[in-house]
Amino acid sequence: MAEQTGLRYQMVDVTPGHVVMEHDLMSRAMRSYFSAEQVAPVEEYREGDHIWHFAGTAQAIQFDVRDNRSGEIIPFRELLGLTYYGCAKPETALRRLGDVAHENGISVYVAVAYENPDGSVRALASEKIRVLNALFNDRLRTPGKKILILPDVFDLYRTMSYGEIMIDFGLTSMEAD
Amino acid sequence: MKLAELAGKLELKAVNSLFDRELTGVYISDMVSDVIANAQAGNLLVTLQVHTNVIAAANLVDIAAIVVTQGKKPPEDVIKMADKAKITLFTTELNRWQIATKLYESGVR
Repeated sequence: MAEQTGLRYQMVDVTPGHVVMEHDLMSRAMRSYFSAEQVAPVEEYREGDHIWHFAGTAQAIQFDVRDNRSGEIIPFRELLGLTYYGCAKPETALRRLGDVAHENGISVYVAVAYENPDGSVRALASEKIRVLNALFNDRLRTPGKKILILPDVFDLYRTMSYGEIMIDFGLTSMEAD
Repeated sequence: MKLAELAGKLELKAVNSLFDRELTGVYISDMVSDVIANAQAGNLLVTLQVHTNVIAAANLVDIAAIVVTQGKKPPEDVIKMADKAKITLFTTELNRWQIATKLYESGVR
């Protein structure tokens, strides 16, 4: 990211890569992880009782945030992506909450985290949610505009499709029209 | 330069409401992750993408307007989302290189 002086938080160590989705046919478990390899790995492999099969991939970035006041680097390796309330299905809790917030000048996003190998979610700490909010709100220029990034209290990581998360699908197969 | 002035110069056609504001520059990308990481508030985003996630990313980083190139037509849900986010959506038959050239010639940096 370009240097932006005067901002407390800054996105650093931006690593392009892939979100790799995989599934286990026996247990029907699904999970995803970030790979910084140039080509997303697609080989199946055994891990304990599971045999993980490649299920899909999307281009994405991984980043850290530097606190320019203290010099501290805050890693965000557990962050899969952000979901905009407007991309959620109608009548879901996120969409309804987002609509109310929007009427008050607030755009709601949810920080969706990766799962642990056992399928449990790697929750983002409250302090990291605060840092994400500061990172994006400090960059805004439109008067009165406000971004609100929420932790995944909606369990979106379980219920929503990866297409609803701001990661890049299908770029290599994109057609011109 | 203001958005309305630029739209007039380049004969860009808005497919939703025109939300006039000062432009801070241009960013050209088809990756939402790249836009989130590198675009700046007030930028004009030039892209071929018409997915709802482009509006989501543009809103997150306070993009002023989006130019969709090569004659692609944004779906109705994308147009509505852009309206709600107060992001002007333009379409052009030009490709990204051609529109980049015209933007430069218009004085946008």
